[in-house]
Amino acid sequence: MVSLKSNGIVKKSLKVIKSSYTGWLFIMPMILGTILFCAIPFVQSFILAFMDYDMMRPPQWIGIENFKAIFTVDFREVWGSFRITFIYAFISIPVTMFLSYFLALLLNRKIPGMMFFRVLIYLPCIIPPIASAIVWKDIFAPQIGIMNRIVQAFGLPASDWLSSASSALMTIIFMSFWGLGGGMILWLAAFKNIPVDLYEAASLDGASKLRQIFSITIPMSSAMIFYNLINGVIGSMQMFGSFLITDNGGRGPDNSLYFISVRIYQEAFVSFNMGYASALAWILFFVIACMSALLFKHSKWVFYGEDM
Amino acid sequence: MVISKKSSRVIGLAFSYVLLLALIVFFTFPFVFMINKSFMDRIDTSMYPVRFFPRHLYLDNYKGIFEVEMLRWLGNTMYITVFNMIGTPLSSSLVAYGFSKCDFKGKRFFFTMMISTIMLPGVVMQIPMYVIYNSLGWIGTYNPLTIPCLFGGGAMNVFLFMQFMKNIPREMDNAAKIDGANALVRYFYMTLPICVPLILMNVINIFMGCWNDYMGPLIYASSSEDKYTVGLGIYYKFIVAGSEGSFRTPGVKMAIGVLLALPSAVLFFIFQRQLIDGIMIGGVKG
Repeated sequence: MVSLKSNGIVKKSLKVIKSSYTGWLFIMPMILGTILFCAIPFVQSFILAFMDYDMMRPPQWIGIENFKAIFTVDFREVWGSFRITFIYAFISIPVTMFLSYFLALLLNRKIPGMMFFRVLIYLPCIIPPIASAIVWKDIFAPQIGIMNRIVQAFGLPASDWLSSASSALMTIIFMSFWGLGGGMILWLAAFKNIPVDLYEAASLDGASKLRQIFSITIPMSSAMIFYNLINGVIGSMQMFGSFLITDNGGRGPDNSLYFISVRIYQEAFVSFNMGYASALAWILFFVIACMSALLFKHSKWVFYGEDM
Repeated sequence: MVISKKSSRVIGLAFSYVLLLALIVFFTFPFVFMINKSFMDRIDTSMYPVRFFPRHLYLDNYKGIFEVEMLRWLGNTMYITVFNMIGTPLSSSLVAYGFSKCDFKGKRFFFTMMISTIMLPGVVMQIPMYVIYNSLGWIGTYNPLTIPCLFGGGAMNVFLFMQFMKNIPREMDNAAKIDGANALVRYFYMTLPICVPLILMNVINIFMGCWNDYMGPLIYASSSEDKYTVGLGIYYKFIVAGSEGSFRTPGVKMAIGVLLALPSAVLFFIFQRQLIDGIMIGGVKG
């Protein structure tokens, strides 16, 4: 009886293997990749956060020392980086979302040449960061840069832009406006999915264009608003853009551009404090996860369409 | 005075065009300036107040590019780029074929596993990846920038291929099965040719990604100068402080910026519709 049962299991599993092995073979690269490049590093990163490892001597288990250092001795410095990152996120997310939405509304019309305008507005998003860095450093050069000539032509005072601690962060936010085309494209995609008959019905009822925007376009694209909001939080909390346009590896004048991601990079790949950097990375990850969870909790206003 | 409906529409349209033109001036200003300045000689670039247009077309800045080892950098970049351009679509489509055309046990589990990798935070993964590559002896080689693409090419990419393959009728597959074609043959001779438009898009995106990437080479291949890619070489020779050598005049810097931006810009202009549609699809699905 027992042998018959085990025989059955063997037969059954043989059958499973026979019917499944082609599928398994096809997805084998993905399975291996997930284990090698996702699962193992993910676990290892967590372990590293409790270690002292400089890539020369073997890693040493030091318990919560890394976290202790971050929250005591280095707290002022680390908090400084978080503060800059938060300020950047809290200003740039709403402003960029609003402006790119406005841009999308403006470009969501069927007038001749619209595709051409969209392409040119999106163009800054595909330029290599290195090329942008070269041109930004030149445009925003203190005193003699062309941006100072432009603002002076408008009667505004010249600025030191990236070279002064008081204006560096605002300059970075200003620069990010050239990337508005990326958000705009996503909004346009969302607008495309709004049924046209809604607008037809509204204009039959005599609703003005402005009213249609507030009563149809904005509510119907709320899923995309939420998606962009979450992406904005994840993206700007990992802001790394100051790295290329400053002369000191992304710190900026008086550490005024020392975003937390730049700090993690410096700790890991310049000072080779792998354990300490991992601990910082996990703290950042935790902060991002909390912010996203908070947004999800307050997402009753999002409309996902009737079929969901 | 009563303005007729038609003329008010014309005024509205004219107003939109003026606004759009102002926006275009804003968004293209950095590139126009970069191109202009790449044709300026030393006298032009040191003038005050700053010039926007060159006094005459000065082409020698573009010669300055060949005073660095641009050709070697280009070769290195091409190696990484071509490897990824072949490896990613191949492995992505292979995995996608498995998910969309084969039945096997644990399909749902493996699919969930793959999709959940999208949520892994890049900032956390980057450090242990370096440690792992180091223990494999891959630091200072291009392996970290090439080999990983053979393992599925990323969940998002597999997902894109799956979406595409969903539209290929299953009867086609079954008919070939009856004719005795095995799964690999069906994948290679039937499914892959149908996917060519998607593969083309994929290849362009990968080219632009590899060409624009500086972080990867900076972390993994910056130890020796003969491993520099185009982006990395330019970063070290033209951007980092202390790189103000005799040939690195503002004009040469701009020329090199123009050259770096050119391939991506040209590709984007040729394939703009498909690329923008691709971004839109990714956004709506995501």
